[in-house]
Amino acid sequence: MNLMFKNKKTIFICLLPALLIFVVLVIIPIVRSFYYGFFEWNGLSDPVYVGMNNFKEIMLDKVFWKSFKNNMMVVVASVFGQIPIGLIIAILLNKKMKSSSIFRTIFFLPMILSTVVVGLLWSTILNVQVGVLNYLLETIGLESLAKNWLGDPKYSMWTICFVIVWQFVGLYMIIFLAALQNIPQDIFEAASIDGATEGQKLFKITIPMLWENIMSAVVLCIAGGMRTFDLVFVMTKGGPAHATELMATYMYNKTFEVYKYGYGSAVSLVIFIISFAFIIISRNAMAKKQLEV
Amino acid sequence: MTKQKIIRFLTFIILLIFGTTTFYPLIWMGYTSLKTNAEISASTFALPETPQFINYLNAWETARMNVYFINSIFVTVCSIIVTLLIGALAAFILAKFQFRLKGFVYSMFIVGMLIPMQSVLVPLFIQMRSLHLLDNHLSLILSYTAFGLPITIFILESFIKGFPNSIIEAGIIDGCNIRRIFVMLILPMSRPAIATVIILNFLNNWKEFSFALIFISSDGKKTLPLGLYNFIGAYSSNYSELMAAMMIASIPLIILYLVLQEQIINGMTAGAVKG
Repeated sequence: MNLMFKNKKTIFICLLPALLIFVVLVIIPIVRSFYYGFFEWNGLSDPVYVGMNNFKEIMLDKVFWKSFKNNMMVVVASVFGQIPIGLIIAILLNKKMKSSSIFRTIFFLPMILSTVVVGLLWSTILNVQVGVLNYLLETIGLESLAKNWLGDPKYSMWTICFVIVWQFVGLYMIIFLAALQNIPQDIFEAASIDGATEGQKLFKITIPMLWENIMSAVVLCIAGGMRTFDLVFVMTKGGPAHATELMATYMYNKTFEVYKYGYGSAVSLVIFIISFAFIIISRNAMAKKQLEV
Repeated sequence: MTKQKIIRFLTFIILLIFGTTTFYPLIWMGYTSLKTNAEISASTFALPETPQFINYLNAWETARMNVYFINSIFVTVCSIIVTLLIGALAAFILAKFQFRLKGFVYSMFIVGMLIPMQSVLVPLFIQMRSLHLLDNHLSLILSYTAFGLPITIFILESFIKGFPNSIIEAGIIDGCNIRRIFVMLILPMSRPAIATVIILNFLNNWKEFSFALIFISSDGKKTLPLGLYNFIGAYSSNYSELMAAMMIASIPLIILYLVLQEQIINGMTAGAVKG
């Protein structure tokens, strides 16, 4: 019987399709980008070996560092926007009112929409001519706040961060809501009997009990922040004047707008290493925390 | 008691503020899709005088949403079928068979969940070019499969692992070969996990933009997200049609979400946390 579970031929045949697709379309491309990263190549003529030049150029390019900073800004905005708002909404929904399930449905709704739809929708809402946001601000007498949200480099990155928080807050709300429902209710009742205020319950019971979930939410924010591309590509394409440039849009522009395939490969590799390092470090830091507890 | 009521009232008000911020933009998309462009320029906030369903017809035909819609269905369905078939096979082997490189193969797929899609955009483009698959739906089906496999294998492997070996052994005693055991036992028993996997892959593939952007160039092969993106150049001031087109792309997702809310929320949350 056990021989059947060790049959090499079965194992090989059944694993082959999955392995083949995964290796050809994920592993080999990454290895190839490592290789092309050392070449200057416009995609048509023969690649010319240039050593570390591409990587040096990336490190010296101010626009790349600007885009790196913007990715960091997305991470920070996610950590300090999505997590607190998601937590507040989850705590409020956990009070189990009649309307809770309707609100829950609504808060998760942006998560299921395509990022292209979210991007185009907000571009229109924030549009200077037909946008409803400036219209509403003017109607309630706050016309001083109305501005060119995406066109003004001073605000465009903040605007992008807001839209990202708007889209993803539902995910964090669900993560925290599920965790909250696992906290036994009698802890809160005991605290109430001892005369604890709502604020004390929040900081002394809820947040410590959810700490692990909050940490894994931070890891999610980091991974998400490094991945952002679609939204910015649709809304601003990295503009105005690189104000919203991200590492991924920078890579896209270098590869598909100015046809520097070798340079683009080098940028992909840098993105790969940076995001992987961030994800691994944050995951390990979290795993250690869990061991200590 | 009154303090309780005040807390409840405040809770409701705060939820209402956040809820409106989340929901109003979507409502606005809905009713703006039914206005004329003149109405939109006159007042971007007002409701439509009479609902202009013609916007949907125009988006569907003139703006070719019908073509993109069919392409999206084709690419999404094909990649789900391929992902599910080869993913389930691999998951079955990884869950129940014993061989030397098992740990290595499993971790390779799991690490795949951590690889950001964007970091392989350029290399994958070069790869597709050498495979002569650019501007071909196969490039999308294969990439969606490759990037759907890790989570598919992860979910199915942990599910199949839970089946007692005695069931499979009983099947062998009854004279089933491995293929029959896979088709008649493992697949039907994995139905709940398969449902999760299908939902996750459907949402990911239907919404996917970046791969479509770099692989597909001819208009007749574009999927919905890419087709919508075209609006920016071609119909930049035709907001009513743009909103109608966005509604067309979103309505299937919204219906699916309303019908399968629990599975979708659980699947997406699990997918995000594990990935």
